[in-house]
Amino acid sequence: MTEAPQTVYRSLLGGDPRIGWLGPGLALALALHAAVVAAAFFLPRFLDRPRPLRKPVIAHLVALGKPRDPRLMPRKESEAPRASTSPAAKPGTAEAKGPVRELTRQELMERALAGAARRTRDEKPDPERAGQETGSPSGTAASAEEGEKYFGEVEDRIHANYVVPSVISERERMYLSATVVIYVGRDGTILKHVMTKPSGNSFIDQALVLALQRTRLPAPPPELAKLVRDEGLEINFKP
Amino acid sequence: MKRLLLFALAAGTAAHAQRPSIDVSNARVQAYPIALAPHSGAPEGADVLEVLAADFDRSGLFRLLDPRSFLADPVKEGSSASTIDFSKWTAIGAQALVKAVARVEGDSVKVEFRLFDVPHAAELLRGDYSAPRVALRQIAHRFGDDVVRSFTQDPGVFQTRIAYVRETENGKQIVIADADGYGPQQITSGSINLLPAWVPDGRSLAFTSFRDGGGAHLFQVDLGTRAVQPLIKMGDFATGAVFSPDGIRFAFSASKEENTDIWLSPIEGGILRRLTDSRGIDISASWSPDGRRLAFVSDRAGSPQIYTMAADGSDVRRVTFQGNYNQEPAWSPKGDLIAFSGRDEHRVFDLYVVNVQTGKVARLTQNEGTNEKPSWAPNGRLIVYSSTRSGKKQLWTILPDGTNARQVTNEARGASDPAWGPLPRR
Repeated sequence: MTEAPQTVYRSLLGGDPRIGWLGPGLALALALHAAVVAAAFFLPRFLDRPRPLRKPVIAHLVALGKPRDPRLMPRKESEAPRASTSPAAKPGTAEAKGPVRELTRQELMERALAGAARRTRDEKPDPERAGQETGSPSGTAASAEEGEKYFGEVEDRIHANYVVPSVISERERMYLSATVVIYVGRDGTILKHVMTKPSGNSFIDQALVLALQRTRLPAPPPELAKLVRDEGLEINFKP
Repeated sequence: MKRLLLFALAAGTAAHAQRPSIDVSNARVQAYPIALAPHSGAPEGADVLEVLAADFDRSGLFRLLDPRSFLADPVKEGSSASTIDFSKWTAIGAQALVKAVARVEGDSVKVEFRLFDVPHAAELLRGDYSAPRVALRQIAHRFGDDVVRSFTQDPGVFQTRIAYVRETENGKQIVIADADGYGPQQITSGSINLLPAWVPDGRSLAFTSFRDGGGAHLFQVDLGTRAVQPLIKMGDFATGAVFSPDGIRFAFSASKEENTDIWLSPIEGGILRRLTDSRGIDISASWSPDGRRLAFVSDRAGSPQIYTMAADGSDVRRVTFQGNYNQEPAWSPKGDLIAFSGRDEHRVFDLYVVNVQTGKVARLTQNEGTNEKPSWAPNGRLIVYSSTRSGKKQLWTILPDGTNARQVTNEARGASDPAWGPLPRR
């Protein structure tokens, strides 16, 4: 009578004299697979840099009108539209006290329309104004390009206050160059500014600081809020 | 695994957020807010300050603050940096402050002026300025020029003079007046006299006149003796003399053999040189500030346009391509712009400037009468021209960006053809 063969159960991870070193190898392979899966999940969070921010293209509103025949003498440049920013509140005014209620989209739209209507009523448009047939009544340029919206708005608002005194010599104005880093709060407030590269002329530096103090910036979009608050926003003032 | 973590940490540090940057350019230039504090001392100080205020206003450099807004008591607070309460001047937006103390000494008036930088509470300029009582205005002009130089490093032009043509019952006469139009003196009498042009030393003027019959020719008048001498008499007519910046030669237009061209002559006389020789009409020469080139008008391409050429007549370049009637070029003292008058599609002449390098044309006047004959102030910060915007043709000044137009003359029958004189000799 022969003895029935006995089934022996062994762990694949354990040592098996028949397979020699294959057990620990398998364990290592599993560990490596786990590491790869973990890396695929976590590494992008560590390695992915924020998408480089494109430099904003300065966008001017396109003036409403018909393109002027280039053979004719030019018309005078249109006056720039008034700054859309309201001047900084004076201390002690109602606006400066307490938190300001955030306006609804509907209210903002109504205000903008009322402002546009007021401008249209008050301003005497040049009857021969050149521009584009699909342009804006408050536009100043004959052509424009799209820019990064938030940075375009920031540029626009600072530009509205970018004024240098006439008494500065033309030579100094022509080579004007200064850099200021501003740190912007979630509501658009300029928390602080640091002049990292002064112009070399105290009148100009004074005018730049004044321009920033007068500027009310829009609230940054959520994806940029932390960046412009912690790292700041570099403003390069040029002629 | 440990190595992997270290790598991830390092990568995290490298991923430090990038600071965005924005370029802000095209600064607007704004007049500098200045306060002229009421004077103390002799009452003549008020007249001086009035002239100074008009100078500052016309220059476009300064914005005069309304005295009614002043918070400080200018007399009580004195006129030294240690006694002035600068916060009261800062509060009304003043960036600069002028203080004046006047006194009379015999027939002279003396004014002690001080200029302060308000934000820095510092004295920038101090000086005693005196003049005979009849020449009070000169005190204001001299101090005004010093203020302009103190801020801009450019010379001021308040002490300069302007020559122009006055309409009279007896034709057109050459007149010189202060740059603010004050004290006009008629230099010529009788006949028709046009197109005055300054010799760079400011001692004499050339002009075009019909005085000797036989057409228009060039004459020169000594401003000291008022003696008139013929300058050039050639061909059918000779007109529009302009002196080179070094004062050793002059260009003019002359018609000879039925062809009008630009010619060049040494100032002491001698061999004439023909600079242009086109079939069209070439007139109205204007020197570049370095004396190497001339701007002029030519209709060689079918309509009058602005051209430039080297001072020997070579290297002719067309500068304007818009419009069909551009004339009267005036090259700016800084060399970058040429001002001219051009006729638009409504057949009205207006002032323009063209950038010599880029050819870009900017319009300075529009919808305000006829505007012609630009002439630059010697510091390049103002242009004088004739305009009908107030009725009869009068002289006006304007900034090169087309702002701050101010009337200069108030001639009963009109004024035209202005030529801004050189800076006074020191």
